[in-house]
Amino acid sequence: MKTQKTILIIEDEKSLRGALVDILHRKGFFSLEARNGREGVDLALGNHPDLILLDLIMPEMDGNTALKKIREDAWGKEVPTIILTNLSATNELSANDAVTHYLIKSDWKLHDIVRKIEEILA
Amino acid sequence: MNKKAPPSLSDKIILNLKVLAEEKESVRRKLAVTAAKLVVTAEKLAATAREKESVRRKLAVTAAKLAVTAREKESVRRKLAVTAEKLRRAYETLEKKVRERTKSLEMARAKEEAILLSIGDGLLATDEKGNIIFINKTAEHLLGKKSKDVVGKNFAAVIPLEDEKGVTIPLEKHPVNMVLVAGVTTAALPAVYYKRKDKKRSPLSIMATPVILDRKVIGTIKVFRDITYEREIDKAKTEFVSLASHQLRTPLSTVNWYAEMLLAGDVGALNEKQQKYLDEVYRSNQRMVELVNALLDVASLELGTFIIDPEPTDICALSENVIDEQRPQIMTRKLQFSFSCAKNISLMQADPKLLRMVIQNILSNAVKYTAEGGTIDLTITLADKKNVLLKLSDTGYGIPKNQQNRIFTKLFRADNVRDKDTDGTGLGLYIVKSIVENSGGNVRFVSSEKGTTFYVSLPLNGMKESPTEGGIR
Repeated sequence: MKTQKTILIIEDEKSLRGALVDILHRKGFFSLEARNGREGVDLALGNHPDLILLDLIMPEMDGNTALKKIREDAWGKEVPTIILTNLSATNELSANDAVTHYLIKSDWKLHDIVRKIEEILA
Repeated sequence: MNKKAPPSLSDKIILNLKVLAEEKESVRRKLAVTAAKLVVTAEKLAATAREKESVRRKLAVTAAKLAVTAREKESVRRKLAVTAEKLRRAYETLEKKVRERTKSLEMARAKEEAILLSIGDGLLATDEKGNIIFINKTAEHLLGKKSKDVVGKNFAAVIPLEDEKGVTIPLEKHPVNMVLVAGVTTAALPAVYYKRKDKKRSPLSIMATPVILDRKVIGTIKVFRDITYEREIDKAKTEFVSLASHQLRTPLSTVNWYAEMLLAGDVGALNEKQQKYLDEVYRSNQRMVELVNALLDVASLELGTFIIDPEPTDICALSENVIDEQRPQIMTRKLQFSFSCAKNISLMQADPKLLRMVIQNILSNAVKYTAEGGTIDLTITLADKKNVLLKLSDTGYGIPKNQQNRIFTKLFRADNVRDKDTDGTGLGLYIVKSIVENSGGNVRFVSSEKGTTFYVSLPLNGMKESPTEGGIR
């Protein structure tokens, strides 16, 4: 990888966040960590990461609200985002668009998530 | 008599006698005349007497006749009197009956009206023009309007309806209108809102049906109720499923991911024993993930929160895909597997993820419950113009006769497979049946110790989209 891509991980569960950080570093990404939606929005708008991994159920501000706030921003409108959750898809949520993807954590291997990220950023 | 010479006495006598004779003669003549007259008179009298007699006779006859007539009249009069009496009595009885009947009719009508008035659901009847002719108490309460203020008015003016977002439901979509104009037999709107005068919005479930008399629509009946409470329960259920899915899957994801990194050697190589142990951990965790997923599917199916998102789907390609996923197990168990899919099957209107679950479940059962070296055949054909038939036969262990009626029961596993294989959730066929039947299809099977054949019939245009309501499921 020529330039190191930055991935923002917005995830309240420390163990899951740790696993994601580990694998991303191993695969040559730079990572930013946020523990809830509010931190995530601040980090996203302040640092303009290349891609965002977004949990949905979080304290302070949930993932849907955070995504809405990010999408309101001119830069944030276009940032590729993977909703990485353990909630089953709903009609609203599962509507994948060009820049929003939806993955269920327990169904996805860590290495496959990384492959998905590489695919999106390719 | 001569006065000049005195007549002799004899002369005198003679003369007198002559005179007398003459007088006598005169008298005699007169008498004769009189006699003759008398004769005539007598004859006349006789004639008159005869006539009188004749008249008398006639009168007698007439009198006799009159007497008869009089008798007859009397008889008729008596009869009439009897009849009149009978009529009078009949009339009285009738009068009494009419009074009683009227009373009981009034009672019945009052009862019916009381029943209609007291129905716990809102009830509104209109005539064929859509003018309201009746609303009951619950309707009054739900609409916040009095019967006297709405009867005679048009339904559209009285009950403005809106959808979830507050957009007014157009007149032609109004259930009453659907029935009156579009001629549908029942028009149901499961989720509309009625905005009351006090601006409070109530979610209503409405069902309208035509009132038909002599094959003509003479009006409509609309039944509706407030579904606020049902909504709340629904929301609670949905939240439960979402919470459960989140809570159960999070620790599983953690175990999954760390085990995966260890197994991949991301943090250094493992020795053989470590690799083997960790593999057990990983596979058990995978099973737990599958079980949780199946339980969540079941919960969603049961709570009616499952999203059905139909799209044109190629069942042949989808089946190939499912088969490919299971190819490793088929190979491991050295099964003879054949698959054929008719080329004339058009794209089905189905939710691919649900269709996949159906095929996946029946196929994985066949693979799991057929002894090594057995045979499995999957054929997909058009059953008729409207239905697809999936036929999956195996030469497996079969479903015991005495347990066949329970095979679609949630969490049920037949004894003969529980002995052979500890895997399996007992949810697969339950899920299959739920999906298939929710899609307007059916599933059945034939089974013996020599094997089982499942038949799944699905309509080509089957799956109906689930209502696009917000919220997490």
